[in-house]
Amino acid sequence: MKRSNIFTSKSLRVIKMKDEVVMEIRGLTKKYGDIVGIKDLDLDVYKGEILGFLGPNGAGKTTTIRTCLGLLQKTSGDVKIFGLDSHKDSIEIRQRTGYLPGDFGMYPDLKVKTILRYLLSQSGVSDESKMKELAERLELDINRKYGNLSKGNKQKVGLVQAFMADQDLIIMDEPTSGLDPLMQQKCYELLREEKAKGKTIFMSSHILAEVEEVCDRVAIIRNAELQVVENIDSLKEKMGKKLVIEFENSVDPTLFSMKGVEDFEMDGRKATMIVTSNLDEVIKKISKQNVVNMSLETFSLEQLFLTYYSRGGNER
Amino acid sequence: MKIGKTMLMELKDRWKGFVLFILVVVLLVGGFVQAYPSFREAFDEGLEGSENVEVEVLKGEENISVMLSWKEFEDAENYSILVGESPNMMVPLDIVEGVENTYHEYVLGFDGDDIPERYFAVVAVRSDGERELVGMETNFERRTAFQEIWGIDYGDIQGFLSLLWSTWWVLLIGLYIGYISVNVITKDYEEDRMDLILSKPISRKQYLLEKFMVVSLYTLSVLVIIGLLLIVSVASVGELDSVSSYGLMSSSLLSWPVFLVMISVSMLAGVYLESSRKAVGVSFIFILTQYGINMVGDLTEGLEYLKTYTIINYWDYESALFGEAVSAFDVVFLFVISALLVGSALMIFERKDIPV
Repeated sequence: MKRSNIFTSKSLRVIKMKDEVVMEIRGLTKKYGDIVGIKDLDLDVYKGEILGFLGPNGAGKTTTIRTCLGLLQKTSGDVKIFGLDSHKDSIEIRQRTGYLPGDFGMYPDLKVKTILRYLLSQSGVSDESKMKELAERLELDINRKYGNLSKGNKQKVGLVQAFMADQDLIIMDEPTSGLDPLMQQKCYELLREEKAKGKTIFMSSHILAEVEEVCDRVAIIRNAELQVVENIDSLKEKMGKKLVIEFENSVDPTLFSMKGVEDFEMDGRKATMIVTSNLDEVIKKISKQNVVNMSLETFSLEQLFLTYYSRGGNER
Repeated sequence: MKIGKTMLMELKDRWKGFVLFILVVVLLVGGFVQAYPSFREAFDEGLEGSENVEVEVLKGEENISVMLSWKEFEDAENYSILVGESPNMMVPLDIVEGVENTYHEYVLGFDGDDIPERYFAVVAVRSDGERELVGMETNFERRTAFQEIWGIDYGDIQGFLSLLWSTWWVLLIGLYIGYISVNVITKDYEEDRMDLILSKPISRKQYLLEKFMVVSLYTLSVLVIIGLLLIVSVASVGELDSVSSYGLMSSSLLSWPVFLVMISVSMLAGVYLESSRKAVGVSFIFILTQYGINMVGDLTEGLEYLKTYTIINYWDYESALFGEAVSAFDVVFLFVISALLVGSALMIFERKDIPV
C-alpha cells in the first residue's frame, strides 16, 4: 500500500509562515567531483523562526549550511540571505550572521577570552558584555586555555561565539553536540530567547527531540535531496496516526482498503494501520466488528522520522 | 578596525617560537662574528722566514729588476736564490747558485716593463754542504686560497661576513620561515578553525594577505636585528673601520626579497595542499634546491649560469658589504616574483572549498 503523497514533489512547496524571507535557497546543487553533496535544494527560512534541518549523517546538512555561508563553492543554484548573494556578498552576510560549525577547533594554546575577543572583533563588535554574559550563563571559564577544555566546554565556546555579536541570523550545525542534558536545556532556552528577540535561527540536528522542542518548522533531507519542509504539527498531522485494533475474531484485510489508510498489517486478530485521513470512515468500519482493544497514537517526530527513513526512503 | 587582527592573533599564538628563533639567530650571528679574529689568524699564512727577506722592485729606464736582501745566516758559506711561481718551489723557474756571503743582497734583472708575480727563496749553503732556508718573499701582495678560487678574501671582515650569508644563513632562516609560512595556513585547516574564522566578515584575500604580512614583517624584523647585531659585533672585534654600518645593515636587509619569495612559495603550497607535512616538504625542497643549485653554480666552473635560475643569486650581499652599488633590478625582480606567487595563492584560495 502506498503512503500519502506528502513527500512528493508537489508537497515540496515552501510553507510560508511569515512575510520576510531571511534565507532564500533556489535550486542549490553542490557536487564534489562525481559525488553529490546536495541536489536542487529549494528552501526558505523566515524571519523570527527556528527552522530545524533534519537528516541522517551524510545527508547533506553541513554541505547546505557551508555552501550558504560561502565556505563551499556552489555548483549551481542561488542562495540569497538578507536579499544578498551568498557568495558575491558573503562579507555583508557574515556581518549579520552568527555561525556554529558542527566540528571546529581553535588555537589550543590561547585563552578562551583571547579567542572570543578576536572573533568578536572580526565581526566589528567591541562590546564584550554579551560575550561575558553568555559565558557566565553557560558556566564557561574564559580564562582557561582552549586546549585544556573538555569537549562540552569547547562546544560552549562555539555557542558563545555564535551568539555574542548579537546578529540577525544564527546558523548552527548540531548545536548541542557534546553538551550534557542540563546544558542542552540552557541552549534551548537561549534559542527560544533569541527567537523571541526576532532573531532567525537555522539549525541542523539529528536529535529529533531537540528539533521537536525548539523548532517551528522542520526540513528533512535525505541522500542530498530535500524531502519535506513542514510545520512540525502539520507534519505530524499529515503523517497520520497509528491505529492498533485487537478484534475478537480475524477480519478481512480488504475491509480497510480505502483512501487514507496505509501500511495495513494483520497479525492474527491484531490489525495495525496508519490513518492519514478519513478517520471517521475507518471508525465506522471498525464499529461493525467486535473490538477487544484499540489505541490511536500520534507520531512523535522521532517515530515520524524513523518511519519515514525505514519505509519511505525509496518512494521518491 | 579589523585590519591586523589576524596578524595579531598569529603573533599571540606564535610569539614564543618567534622569540626563541631570534635568540638562536642572535647567538649564532654574535658567535660567528666573535670567531673572526681567530679565523683571520688561521688564514694568515705567512711565507716561511719572510721576516728575514726583503724584496724591492727597481725600475730602470730600459729594464726592471728585483733587489733581494736578507739577514745574514750564521755559518753560511754562500747562498742560493730560487725564483718560482708558487711557494713550494718544487720546479723553480730560475736558480742562482753561489751568491757570495758578503753583502747579503742580490739583484735579479727582468726583461720588459713589468715583473710577473714571483716567489723568491734565499737558501744558505753551509760549509758542510747542507742547505737551509733563510726565508721567502714575493714581489706582490699574496692572496689566500679562497681569493684564488672565488676572488674574495675571506680573511677580510667583508669576505668573512659574506661566508655567513652564502653558507648556512639562507638555510637557517629560509627553512624556519618556510616552515612558519606553511603552518600559518595549514594549522588553520588541520586544527579545524578555518571554517570558523572565515565565517566571520573577513575576506579570504585579507586573511591570506595578513598571514603573508605577519611572516614577512617578522622576517624583516629578524633581519633588522641581525643588521644591528652585525654592527655591534663587528665593532666589538675592532673592524668597523673596514666595513660600513650601512653595508652591514643593507647586506642583511637585501635578503628580505629572497625570503619573501620563499614565504610566497610556502604559502602557495600550504593553500593548495592543505597539509602541513606535504606543504613543508614542498617548501623545503624548493629552498634546498635553490641553495644547492646556487652552491653548484658557485663551485663549478662552467655551471655558473645555473645561478641565474636561483632566487639567491639576486641577493647581492657582496656589493652591499664591499660598498658597491646594488642592482635595483634584482630587488624589484624578487618583489615581482613574490607578488605573482602570492597572487596565485590568492586566486586558488578564493575559489577553494574550505574543508572540514
